[in-house]
Amino acid sequence: MAGNFWASSHYQQWVIDRQDLCRERQHDMKHLTEEEYQKVMILFANVIQALGEHLKFRQQVIATATVYFKRFYARNSLKCIDPWLMAPTCVFLASKVEEYGVLSNNRLITTCQNIVKNKFGHAFSGEYPYRIQHVMECEFYLLEMMDCCLIMYHPYRPLTKFCADIGSEMELLPVAWRMINDSLRTDIPLLYPPYLIALACLHLASIVKQKDIKTWCAELSVDNDKVMEITKTMVSLYEMWKIYDEKKEIQPILTKMPKPSPSRPPSETPTMQDANSQQQQQQQNQQLPSGGV
Amino acid sequence: MQKYEKLEKIGEGTYGTVFKAKNRETLEIVALKRVRLDDDDEGVPSSALREICLLKELKHKNVVRLHDVVHSERKLTLVFEYCDQDLKKYFDACNGEIDADVVKSLMCQLLRGIAFCHSNNVLHRDLKPQNLLINKNGELKLADFGLARAFGFPVRFYSAEVVTLWYRPPDVLFGAKMYSTSIDMWSAGCIFAELANAGRPLFPGNDDDDQLKRIFKLLGTPTEDSWPSLTQLPNYRPFPMYHVNTTWQQVVPKLNSKGRDLLQKLLVCYPPDRLSAEDSLQHPYFGDSSPGPK
Repeated sequence: MAGNFWASSHYQQWVIDRQDLCRERQHDMKHLTEEEYQKVMILFANVIQALGEHLKFRQQVIATATVYFKRFYARNSLKCIDPWLMAPTCVFLASKVEEYGVLSNNRLITTCQNIVKNKFGHAFSGEYPYRIQHVMECEFYLLEMMDCCLIMYHPYRPLTKFCADIGSEMELLPVAWRMINDSLRTDIPLLYPPYLIALACLHLASIVKQKDIKTWCAELSVDNDKVMEITKTMVSLYEMWKIYDEKKEIQPILTKMPKPSPSRPPSETPTMQDANSQQQQQQQNQQLPSGGV
Repeated sequence: MQKYEKLEKIGEGTYGTVFKAKNRETLEIVALKRVRLDDDDEGVPSSALREICLLKELKHKNVVRLHDVVHSERKLTLVFEYCDQDLKKYFDACNGEIDADVVKSLMCQLLRGIAFCHSNNVLHRDLKPQNLLINKNGELKLADFGLARAFGFPVRFYSAEVVTLWYRPPDVLFGAKMYSTSIDMWSAGCIFAELANAGRPLFPGNDDDDQLKRIFKLLGTPTEDSWPSLTQLPNYRPFPMYHVNTTWQQVVPKLNSKGRDLLQKLLVCYPPDRLSAEDSLQHPYFGDSSPGPK
């Protein structure tokens, strides 16, 4: 849907103020530093990306799922719902909203199990505990919490238009496109309208490619301070990435991350066997060498 | 859900029961659409999700308003503005007589609703009298977006099974999988003729073949000349070259000449040549009097 962004629920309800975001996160910040929190968000953006790629989804669907995930935790603590359940739920919902055919329930869970085991062993030990029933229940909460705002505007489309306008589809578009993907690892999609994100990534891409687009930029009437804010956030993401080794560092952070309390299981489980194995799983999680849960 | 007092059952929608209800605080009358969540199926049905997410964005006088979505114990209830009847019931009650000005007003509102959806890159895909609601002020509203979809991204893989048979365009009947706004414009044309004839459907076919025959008998059988790549369509099959011997005056005797001209520009077999909703609203048919809602 490429209708009117200014009349959209995305613009009217889901471009959030930075102060708001900090206030909502206060609880989680008792357990994690801001950088640690960001690393948790990067991990799950990677999980969603890996899931989407394995399911052969378009980047648009993956981006939508990632922003759903961010929206949920922008209004809720990490302990409300286990992000390991929320990540596939966002993929499940996004695939329906973006009409990417029917995703078989089995395939989602199997893919999830495989990815967790083969790609995220450094972050998750043991069997992946969730079943499709959990995903469906979680979908319900996700919908409610997002106030059913499901249509998303992404920076890809404005970026494509800008590049066509500059006449630099070959040179700048692929670089800026990847930067937009990277911006999904930050709070940027929650804080700024997509066309500003597209501009900031285009700006960065022009620096990387040493292509002068100043004259083109000068003719735009946009909030340049905001574009600069986005650019700075992107630069600090790249700075951080230079020295960050997720495989080594994420486990202690996850241990500190606030988790759903075991007395309030995320879901009713369909069979006793399932229920037991899940309880065991939760106990296992609890017994991991822990910091300050 | 305590907020609403259920009054009566209105009908069964694509994915759940519809009730008339009253908001206990504001006394406003609303329509409640309960979404069944079938376990171990697909979670929230995608038809309900489509309706929710599209109507959340589409706010227009001629599109039914989604006031709220209420979550309660694993049930979803969609709260819509209430309309007294749909166009089908309106036809049943009109005794074969609809004033020419009313026809014009309803058609204009239908086109405005469609134009708004299309400008937001939304296809309705199932326009028919049952999905057009009319309130007591004579305002017409597009409803039931369960088959609607946002477009603008690769428009392949569309289901060919959309649009109720009588309002289905020939390209879809031939199995076309790529279609766009023109699909709704064909349906609008069929509905226009039905309005002008006070509820007599234009092409009441029994099956796909009969449907195409009825269309071609009125419009002439299309050829590769009038419709490039016609024979490439997935379910294309040849039809006899019907000799057209019905005049538009016979088809819609009560419609004036400008109205007939608009109708002919909507009912065009070759999809790219069908008039758009935006252009239809500029047609002289709406020029001679103020086309606003009555």
